[in-house]
Amino acid sequence: MAKNKRKNRYKKHLVHLFILPAALIYGVFQLYPLISAALNSFYSFNGFERVDFIGFQNFITLFTEKPYKDFFLNAFSHNWIYFFVTVITQLIISLILALIIHSKIKGKEFFKSMFFLPKLLSVIVIGFLFSLILNPTRGALNTLLEAIGLEAFTRPWLGDMSTALLSVIFVDSWASIGFSMLIFLAGLQAIDKEIFEAARIDGANSFTVLFKITLPMIGPALMIMTVLTFIGSFETFEYVFAMQGSSGGPYYSTDVLTTFFYRLAFGTVDGGQAIGLGSAVAVVLFIIIGMATSLILFVFKRKDFER
Amino acid sequence: MKEKLLLGIFFILFSGIAAGCGNGGGSGNSSEDAVELEMYSWRTEDRSAYEEIIAAFEEENPDIKIKFNPFEATEYNTILTNALVSGTGPDIVQLRPYTGARTIADNGYLVALDDIEGLDNFDETYLEAAQGSDGNTYGIPLSLNIGLIYYNIDIFNEYGLEPPETWDDFIAVSQELKNNGVTPLSVGGREAWLLSMLHGVITPTAYGGNDFVEDITEGEADLTDPRMMESLDRMEELTEYIADDFMALDDADSTALFYTEEAAMYVNGDFQLEVLENSNPDLSIGVIPGFKEEGSDDPLVMNWVDGSYGVVEGTEHEEEALKFMEFMASPEFGQLFTDNLTRVSAVEGVTASHDIVKQIMEASEANSTPYLMLVEYGLGSPSTKGIFEDGLQGMYLGEITKEELLEQSQENAERAAEEGVEELEMIEEDE
Repeated sequence: MAKNKRKNRYKKHLVHLFILPAALIYGVFQLYPLISAALNSFYSFNGFERVDFIGFQNFITLFTEKPYKDFFLNAFSHNWIYFFVTVITQLIISLILALIIHSKIKGKEFFKSMFFLPKLLSVIVIGFLFSLILNPTRGALNTLLEAIGLEAFTRPWLGDMSTALLSVIFVDSWASIGFSMLIFLAGLQAIDKEIFEAARIDGANSFTVLFKITLPMIGPALMIMTVLTFIGSFETFEYVFAMQGSSGGPYYSTDVLTTFFYRLAFGTVDGGQAIGLGSAVAVVLFIIIGMATSLILFVFKRKDFER
Repeated sequence: MKEKLLLGIFFILFSGIAAGCGNGGGSGNSSEDAVELEMYSWRTEDRSAYEEIIAAFEEENPDIKIKFNPFEATEYNTILTNALVSGTGPDIVQLRPYTGARTIADNGYLVALDDIEGLDNFDETYLEAAQGSDGNTYGIPLSLNIGLIYYNIDIFNEYGLEPPETWDDFIAVSQELKNNGVTPLSVGGREAWLLSMLHGVITPTAYGGNDFVEDITEGEADLTDPRMMESLDRMEELTEYIADDFMALDDADSTALFYTEEAAMYVNGDFQLEVLENSNPDLSIGVIPGFKEEGSDDPLVMNWVDGSYGVVEGTEHEEEALKFMEFMASPEFGQLFTDNLTRVSAVEGVTASHDIVKQIMEASEANSTPYLMLVEYGLGSPSTKGIFEDGLQGMYLGEITKEELLEQSQENAERAAEEGVEELEMIEEDE
């Protein structure tokens, strides 16, 4: 008996060995870059290699010296705009879509896959397609607006300071709407139908059902999607880069923290690299996301307790 | 029994991964006697042409093999930096011109090439594209890029227009085209670098050409100089002749406007010639290499060296690599390069068979001026060139004034220069 037990324990520990390859890959490709980026932000660079430990100097430069502080604030404000607009264009709309699909309409499955389809396309392809659609003279959008008599609304969408960022956010939302819709749909489907029936019998109208039952019941899905949207809005890079380039043009009107980071850390084709400063941006970004995510979770969790 | 099986599976899986990791490192020496040199480049699109050129070299030097290894241009800087820092790098590397090459040279990653035979085949100013802060040459210049105004010969003939020779001519021609409902000029303003290019092509005769460049290099003038302001006045005057909403057009859009014959003129580098010819074979392309200064017979052509090749310090095959550098400096190579790539070689005395290439080559040899922003203002992160061209976007969008644009650029130039000095000091301390 005793021998068998020992054997069992040995077997149990043997299993742990199997995470070693995954742990190694995680360590090399996730942990190591994370730690080295954090370390880099405390060093000066000679354009190539780490030279001296300089404490918080990179952070001080970032927040106090021109042009960095202006770039940082500008990009930071764009990230916030990105977040708030995405909440409307992606979260709220996808929630409405999920509610519609969850109701008794025909062709549910068809719409579900249609809304999810853009997620399967590569970002570069989407960026390219929308650059064509938003082209001021030959683009489909302006052509359509002209055809239906709305010439007054035609814009050089991606070349106008006031519309460029919104256009990029719209494209991002268009591509990602299917994913958040699916999360909400899963939440909706998990609610017991009897609850709705009971509410109806008690005389609740549709609005009461929506605000008193449906939304509270999909609280976890809302929480996850708010957190993911926040992280997504602050880490956003691909759509800005694919459509407006690393300088977040025109004239930095679509510049976000990640493109600012990219320009510093990797340099432009003809500019130099500032790896220390770039890493400082990355660390600040990490802290912002970490703090805001905890705050959002805290708010949602507290609501949970109240209930 | 079972646990032995598990352990066995584990070791098989794990050794597979370990072996997979190990394989990458051991390459290098081929089994033959020939020495193999690895060459990094960012010209993936030129692979076949390079291979032909390399074949010509290998024929003369049967004991040297060269492996041409190109990477995506946008990734190249990072890949090269990593390779150099980790010391696992190639033997021969393509260098970004001016600041790019200087940074690498100053960090001691390159072999000085001053004793290479054939270095005198190059114009002094072209060698500056790959010189370190110590004044030594670390790269063999490859090609010259030339900024041009392309024009549509058919459209010009239709309205009886002659290609403009001066700025005043240019405005007159543009006005005439505009009066006839033709878009005079196509520019992709959404890509800021094209605005720098536009500035470089259109304005040298406004800021006083090489005299101003000289004043800049000698520190007697800076970007807030009134001559610079004149160049911006010119940029502003141009606005009404550029395609509608040009700030929303990218490079491809503006190129398309020209080759679909909607715009009569188009500004870009000579490297776009092939794209234009391939996109619309019926297009009758003419080029205006630059404007004439008062009292000069030759137009002032803006050119710059686009990359050079250097040898990595510490390579095991320095002697062989230097031999290849000698080859790259020879007229034979220049000719092969021009013939195979329809580009302008930096080697003097090469003749081109393509009419337009021949025309711009001759014009550039007769009277040229450097691409001011790229050559003098590439330093810093962000570079002053970047601040300037993004600022041009701001100017065209009415976000900043010309004065602000020049002030910001000058401010950045001073910051970048300081940074450059600091970096050099760090390197010296390191040694």
